[in-house]
Amino acid sequence: MTTLTLLWIALPFLMGFVIYLLPRLDRALSLLGALISVAYAINLMVAQSPLSLRLLDHFGVSLLLDPLTGFFILTNALVTTAVILYCWESPKTTFFFAQTLILHGSVNAALACTDFISLYVALEVLSIAAFLLIAYPRSDRSIWVGLRYLLVSNVALLFYLVGAVLVYETHHSFDFVGLQGAPPEALALIFLGLLVKGGIFFSGLWLPLTHSESEAPVSALMSGVVVKAAVLPLVRCALFLDNVDPIVRVFGVGTAVLGVFYAVFEKDAKRMLAFHTVSQLGFILAAPEVGGFYALTHGLVKAALFLIVGVLPSRNLKELQHQPIPRSLWVALTIASFSISGFPLLSGFGAKVLTMKNLLPWQVIGMNIAALGTAISFAKLIFLPHKALPAAERPALKPGFWAAMALLLGGLVVANGIYYEAYSLENIIKPLVTIFLGWLAYGLIFRRLSLKLPRMLEQFDHLIGVMSLSLILLFWMALA
Amino acid sequence: MKIIGMDVMSTGVVAYYVLIAAREGLFTPIVADVQKGSYADPVPQAVILTAIVIGLSIQALILVGVMKLSRDNPTLESHEIERSNTP
Repeated sequence: MTTLTLLWIALPFLMGFVIYLLPRLDRALSLLGALISVAYAINLMVAQSPLSLRLLDHFGVSLLLDPLTGFFILTNALVTTAVILYCWESPKTTFFFAQTLILHGSVNAALACTDFISLYVALEVLSIAAFLLIAYPRSDRSIWVGLRYLLVSNVALLFYLVGAVLVYETHHSFDFVGLQGAPPEALALIFLGLLVKGGIFFSGLWLPLTHSESEAPVSALMSGVVVKAAVLPLVRCALFLDNVDPIVRVFGVGTAVLGVFYAVFEKDAKRMLAFHTVSQLGFILAAPEVGGFYALTHGLVKAALFLIVGVLPSRNLKELQHQPIPRSLWVALTIASFSISGFPLLSGFGAKVLTMKNLLPWQVIGMNIAALGTAISFAKLIFLPHKALPAAERPALKPGFWAAMALLLGGLVVANGIYYEAYSLENIIKPLVTIFLGWLAYGLIFRRLSLKLPRMLEQFDHLIGVMSLSLILLFWMALA
Repeated sequence: MKIIGMDVMSTGVVAYYVLIAAREGLFTPIVADVQKGSYADPVPQAVILTAIVIGLSIQALILVGVMKLSRDNPTLESHEIERSNTP
């Protein structure tokens, strides 16, 4: 198992480079790389026994692979597979597929490691690969969005490095557990880096623009997996250390409500999905014990939604209301929206119930508001007009698109089985009431409301400024 | 300007790592017959070497991006670039 694990970590990087040597096989090789990860993750979840590796000495690399990691790895592998299928027939170059596979590998590495320095290296590789994917169209706007992402994440990781050395100074080891007993500055600096990379709370407001201005497959990758690479370490820290747990939970509720607040008023489909990513990350953090399952369902659903919205005729929801979309697309869109709102029969339901059950009493109100907001904002997508278009008018959708949809939406239905205990009468009624109330609120209020929230906080200068404010906030939270 | 700022910041972090490593002593830890005195801690130095390399590559990548942007925005004012590139 140890050899297998090491091979699995190295393989995507290796194959990423081999793709350059064999450009004809780019699509097949990258698909193979992603499928190997699927097999490995399923193996990890079936085995149920955590595997802990320590390479070199106590200051070396340490890896931990348990079922929780398995969920995240499975998300990563499935989303990457779907994106590769989606791009199969597109004229994307070898470069794109190689970068996708390297991104996949770096996310895997970030998920597996439990020491701060390996995590740092994985996150930096991830930023570079993500930047190259964002800037792939080579337009001015994509380059600017990519540069903004790279600058913000690099500054955040510099703060993180200072925190890491403070942990080392206390324990002469970089392990996550070393956060216990380290000075509060260390906790504040490290968490700032992870919060920014993960796109959480006010420090994560770089995320909406980046995710909405990228191409559809890249947005799917970014929202589905890239942000989760920084969320899992936060979840891990919360599970390892008791004094960190409340901090993570507070940020979970805060970001869930903040993201949904923006999403409800948003009129642009892609931006709404991006704000929703911010909010759903909150759900993962709000109940760290069961975050894995939620991450899996969210990754699948969000990748599916971004890919669907990418083929819609317009991004503006106002325009879409006057322009019927093909019925087949609408069905896929509705299945995904139902899952994310927590409708029974899809795995979003099980994940929501499980998260709600593991909340602390003070979190319940905030999370219920966030769930209601989710229902309101996805009513916008569910109630889009649709009709069966004649064959001539139908947009030419490639088989790759449907293969990706089948994988992602099929995954949602199959994942239902992971937590089938959720199906009790009481559990089923509550989400139905939430969704009904959400739709009611949408029909009566939000449909007519047109409020444009200022985007000042998303400007580059303010992003950096908010970072330092978050640092002070985190410091006081760590001290308290 | 922002890129230089980032570079100064990363230099600061590197210097901090070196400082931490030199807390206990200054000598290079090499096995020898003569005991020279207290040694510097090699771990932070090894770690920051990785970070320096990564920082350099990111710096290079950013500069390439800026070169591309400079074709249409010769003044490279980030406010202007931001205004024309946000929807």
